[in-house]
Amino acid sequence: MTSLASRQRTFGDVTVGEELPSVEFPLTVYRLVVAAGGNRDFNSIHHNTAYAQATGAPEMYASTFILMGMWERLVRDYIGPAGTIRSIRDFRMRRFNLVGSVVEVRGRVRDARREDAHGIVTLEVESLVDGQVTVGPGTVEVTVPAASTAEAAA
Amino acid sequence: MSADWQTQDWKAAWQPLAEAVGRDFGDGTVVFGADAVEPGTIRRYTEPLEISCPIHYDAGAARAAGYPDVVAPYTATMVYSVPPMWRPGEPTLYESSDRDAQPARSPINNEDLPLAPKTTGFFATDISMEFLRPVTVGERVGRRGQRLISCTPKQTSMGRGAFLTWESELVTERGEVVARVRTGTYAYNPAGPDPAGPDPAGPDPAGPEEEQP
Repeated sequence: MTSLASRQRTFGDVTVGEELPSVEFPLTVYRLVVAAGGNRDFNSIHHNTAYAQATGAPEMYASTFILMGMWERLVRDYIGPAGTIRSIRDFRMRRFNLVGSVVEVRGRVRDARREDAHGIVTLEVESLVDGQVTVGPGTVEVTVPAASTAEAAA
Repeated sequence: MSADWQTQDWKAAWQPLAEAVGRDFGDGTVVFGADAVEPGTIRRYTEPLEISCPIHYDAGAARAAGYPDVVAPYTATMVYSVPPMWRPGEPTLYESSDRDAQPARSPINNEDLPLAPKTTGFFATDISMEFLRPVTVGERVGRRGQRLISCTPKQTSMGRGAFLTWESELVTERGEVVARVRTGTYAYNPAGPDPAGPDPAGPDPAGPEEEQP
């Protein structure tokens, strides 16, 4: 498990104000269909242009589930395998995330405090398309280990 | 008939639901999702997101990280509470061969919106979730409760309808609460070719802005 441990972020690795490595998600029809199969939101607004337009949208657009999953991808990449997610708040979808666009998910550390064996970290996260915020900004509260297993044993 | 009268009339149709704010429309039972948490459904959820963390596919890695088994992504917890589209013995969902025909029934819809006027458009606007723990392979997840927190009629660029906020709990078969969810939705009738016109009140800061998903 050396490789796993080496990827594990601990509280000492966290700096308030630091930016998380952003993640980009090109939204193709293919990806939206794969996502619908995975998250079971088969509403046609998420995979059918004509239907989406009949409901007043300019095109088919990403579902809540895939958009929330994008935030989890960003967060999980940062907190590592032993990190946990306590809450997601203010996940507000302000604009369509349309097929043919690229959703960029960004985050930064807003607050961090130690609590027993864990570090409690508040991340501010948002999704953008062409520089405009489409989801959020919201907060994701996570935990990371206070110290690595090796550090704790020392 | 003035446009103002029409506006008030369609808003009045939402009044019975608005008066029910605070009521739990659930009957206390848990409505379980179609699929148990298992490696295949986790894989299909993570695939389009390209989540590589091994706790989602490697039991050894999950245990090393402190979990009892492979865990589902937190954001998938709600997915596991979605009931099936169709069960054996039920009537067909596919009653028409029209290209864009919709299924006769869907668990993700506003068909059974109580006390509300009939609407054909529906989407989520916002979500907040509190997670007590992740769910692991072998568990099932259900939804308990459907408490109406707010109901705000509003005309938007999408049509006429109402912003609704609901609260529910996600529980396991053992009755353990694993997450609490507050979901905002917009249930509406899409603007037709001859809408009554824009809402003179303008955009609602509590509702969608210029565009909404």
